Amino acid sequence: MDTNSEESPGFYQLSITVECAHLRLNSFLKPNPYVEITVDEQTPRKTDIVKNTTQPKWNETFTLLVTPHSKINLSVLDKKNFRKDSVCGEKKVDLFQLLTYFNGKCDNLELTLDLINENKPSESPTKVGELMCFLKGLNVDVSNYTRPGGSTPLTQSNSDSSNNSRSVFNGIKAKVRSTGTENVVPSSSRRSNQLTTSQSTNSIPNVNGRPPRPAPEVPNQPRRSIDSSNSLTNNNTENSSIGPPATVPNGNTVQSDAEENRNEDPLPPGWDLRFDTYGRRYYVDHNTRSTSWERPQPLPAGWEMRKDNRGRVYYVDHNTRTTTWQRPNTERLQHYQQWQGQRQHIVQQGNQRFLYGQAQNGSVAGPSTVADEDDGSGPLPSGWERRVQPEGRVYFVNHKNRTTQWEDPRTQGQEISNDLDELPLPAGWEIRFTDDNKRYFVDHNTKTTTFDDPRPGAPKGPKGMYGVPRAYERSFKWKISQFRFLCQSNAVPSHMKIQVSRQTLFEDSFHTIMRLPAYELRRRVYIIFKGEEGLDYGGVSREWFFLVSHEALNPMYCLFEYANKNNYSLQINPASYVNPEHLTYFKFIGRFIAMALYHGRFIYSGFTMPFYKRMLGKKLVMKDIESIDPEFYNSLVWLKENNIDDCGLELYYSVDFEVLGQVVHHELKKNGDKERVDEENKEEYLTLMTEWRMTRGIEQQTQAFLDGFNEVVPIEWLKYFDERELELLLCGMQEIDVEDWQKHTIYRHYQRSSKPVIWFWQFVKQSDNEKRARLLQFVTGTCRVPVGGFAELMGSNGPQRFCIEKVGKDSWLPRSHTCFNRLDLPPYKSYEQLVEKLTYAIEETDTFGQE
Amino acid sequence: MAATRRLQKELGDIRNSGLKSFRDIQVDETNILTWQGLIVPENPPYNKGAFKIEINFPAEYPFKPPKINFKTKIYHPNIDEKGQVCLPIISAENWKPATKTDQVIQALVALVNEPEPEHPLRADLAEEYLKDKKKFSKNAEEYTKKHSEKRPAD
Repeated sequence: MDTNSEESPGFYQLSITVECAHLRLNSFLKPNPYVEITVDEQTPRKTDIVKNTTQPKWNETFTLLVTPHSKINLSVLDKKNFRKDSVCGEKKVDLFQLLTYFNGKCDNLELTLDLINENKPSESPTKVGELMCFLKGLNVDVSNYTRPGGSTPLTQSNSDSSNNSRSVFNGIKAKVRSTGTENVVPSSSRRSNQLTTSQSTNSIPNVNGRPPRPAPEVPNQPRRSIDSSNSLTNNNTENSSIGPPATVPNGNTVQSDAEENRNEDPLPPGWDLRFDTYGRRYYVDHNTRSTSWERPQPLPAGWEMRKDNRGRVYYVDHNTRTTTWQRPNTERLQHYQQWQGQRQHIVQQGNQRFLYGQAQNGSVAGPSTVADEDDGSGPLPSGWERRVQPEGRVYFVNHKNRTTQWEDPRTQGQEISNDLDELPLPAGWEIRFTDDNKRYFVDHNTKTTTFDDPRPGAPKGPKGMYGVPRAYERSFKWKISQFRFLCQSNAVPSHMKIQVSRQTLFEDSFHTIMRLPAYELRRRVYIIFKGEEGLDYGGVSREWFFLVSHEALNPMYCLFEYANKNNYSLQINPASYVNPEHLTYFKFIGRFIAMALYHGRFIYSGFTMPFYKRMLGKKLVMKDIESIDPEFYNSLVWLKENNIDDCGLELYYSVDFEVLGQVVHHELKKNGDKERVDEENKEEYLTLMTEWRMTRGIEQQTQAFLDGFNEVVPIEWLKYFDERELELLLCGMQEIDVEDWQKHTIYRHYQRSSKPVIWFWQFVKQSDNEKRARLLQFVTGTCRVPVGGFAELMGSNGPQRFCIEKVGKDSWLPRSHTCFNRLDLPPYKSYEQLVEKLTYAIEETDTFGQE
Repeated sequence: MAATRRLQKELGDIRNSGLKSFRDIQVDETNILTWQGLIVPENPPYNKGAFKIEINFPAEYPFKPPKINFKTKIYHPNIDEKGQVCLPIISAENWKPATKTDQVIQALVALVNEPEPEHPLRADLAEEYLKDKKKFSKNAEEYTKKHSEKRPAD
């Protein structure tokens, strides 16, 4: 049978076996080599990695689709665990040269390629080894083809077909391998599109062992890029008959140009092109029984579609040996690559986070600076040791239970009292405690008692709900110590071992954590990375928390997404249901986040402020929408502020949104479809809309998350904190580079030299890290700075520098617009006034501070 | 659908108003979120043809603005090669739920008739427009003759 008949004219199958290589590298360590084969800049195919050798053997066969003019690039790479893989050496094979040399035949051809390293531009390219390959199955009538660019093909110098290796041209040696039974067939008379191949690799899957390689895609014209954010599939599968999609995805064009047909990739297997009653084209995916207006992209090289035993479709990426429920497209793969790119920064980032501990080098001493550990706080408790990290940060090792911590054990948990107890009481005063352990002060001079601390600098004033002065209760340190106290007094003894492999980190962690009863997760975490030695004195589990939290954002899992395009804060992805087990995963993440808080570890990236509010059981208000969907928010504000009668809004108590190309309809109340919104009832409507907007499509997931969380840490334990403190607690603070911040700040209606601006920076410089973090959080919605510093700060519409704008009168409080990283700073009259107003605004979390 | 009633009303109003500059409005009965129509400009050099556009309304309409795309190629500083157009009235900052599609179309027709080279999507054409209006008009006219749709008879 003519296996070639279905392929596009001009394409041929070529089987290539990558056999082995001999590498001569000057490096001290042996490489972990693998080979990447790239045909005409298409997506590369890769061999397995052979570990730790200069004499790798792969013997892997690939079927390539080539044209006679294809350039095949073979490069040997060194797999690096923590860095980008590096190229050991490579060679480009010009197929046409080879074909003309061997009379149009690349069949049973043995190639020895000189591997050239051109990594260092300063040096001339050097030969670093040889790569052995075997080509089979290509037979072309070269006379039908002309050399592009008109250069003369190399002609075979003689008809010698002996098995001696011949140097064909610059660094490529080739010889015909004798096949024993079969003689080399003279090739000149073969029809060009006939293929003498015994390949069956692309149709019969392997039954056992390694996953079969997916059928090769036809490499073709440049792929049409996906221009909208819509998914490819449209899950209206309830109808037994598959009709056209219910909605046209945004920005999608329904083309009918006949011209377009010719230039398109063939449809992937199981897809069908149909026309609706209006003659518009749509696509039916028989695999998932869904339809789409958008032409499906063929799966990228190395991908395969499969069905699980319940008939659900999923996709296998043989390149990375991972699977996903969502059909990969360019956009998703791009997100994935971006996400992967963060990986190398994770551990570094983790080491930069802290809550309370050492005084930071060079930071201006603020009110909350903790006493330095060298200044004679006395000896450490027995079994403790003080150590210093390479970058100079001090930490403490507890050899008794083999843990490490940043906090000094001598002062830990009592930072507040410690600060104050160092101050002497005025003469004639004494501290006593009531029966219920409440502290009070006796003044023997006047024979009176009081709960108010008489020392200067101690917070005074009315008591708050926890029986200490209210100003104290505002102190984040005090809150943390209360929370820590709850954790410690409810600790479960002994430890819990979690063994994970770095390759399957998320799955391994998921299974272990979901298998254990929830209370056991309060045991000390002891992480073992398979194949890595090292005792978990705290550093390993610190890394684990960071890595798993980053992994949870893997776009391929579809669990979380960034709140509006470029914000780093996370929110639940309403499309998470593409993963049928998503609720179990959210429960897992709930447990995991609770563990992070309980064990005092940080996670990589935080959630949106509304999400924290939800965790704290706070009511969400309209203003909360601004940070996640400013456009929607603006429209609601417009409705609130304008008389909506007589402007033809045609609004009813119902609403729609789109998820994965499907429109979901919701009635805000019973029979809402029939009830009209007017000036009279719009407040109720706006309340219902706010509620719906903040929960749409994510309610079950949120509940699953909270359930998981609550099993490990009762959610009431968080009562001390507000949503902004919760983020600090979970993500830690990081040293904020004030110079970088100032350098990348822009001003509106202010100059760099305006008084309030100068005062603002004076305030920032004199603040401690907590206050800086809170100020940043107030304006940008997160206390974290991007890896690249303030220059890379993002807003809801892309890069958005920190901005200070002159707004209002000096009696106003500063306001912020987190989606635009903008601070509205009224023109205050004095430094003191600015400090007072700004401090008030960043400490009060209720929404009036923000608007 | 929540947006249906509003869009049906708007569509009815536009059809009844008998706009000369926007015609042949086609809307799929099963999906009112996508409209197609023909922009018929009055000013040269675009008055030699007509231009097909598509309006896509989001499911959250009128809380989010519609998007407009030219389906016919046009030589215009404010409309790019992909048919995208930058119209202030439907930008995120300016959008109001009370803005009517009728107003959006009027704004679009005005922009087609009177290009705004100060806010270009195609800098090259804006430059030509400002520096050599004659050349621009000639190019635009030729382009229109070659690529645009036929103008309705009346």
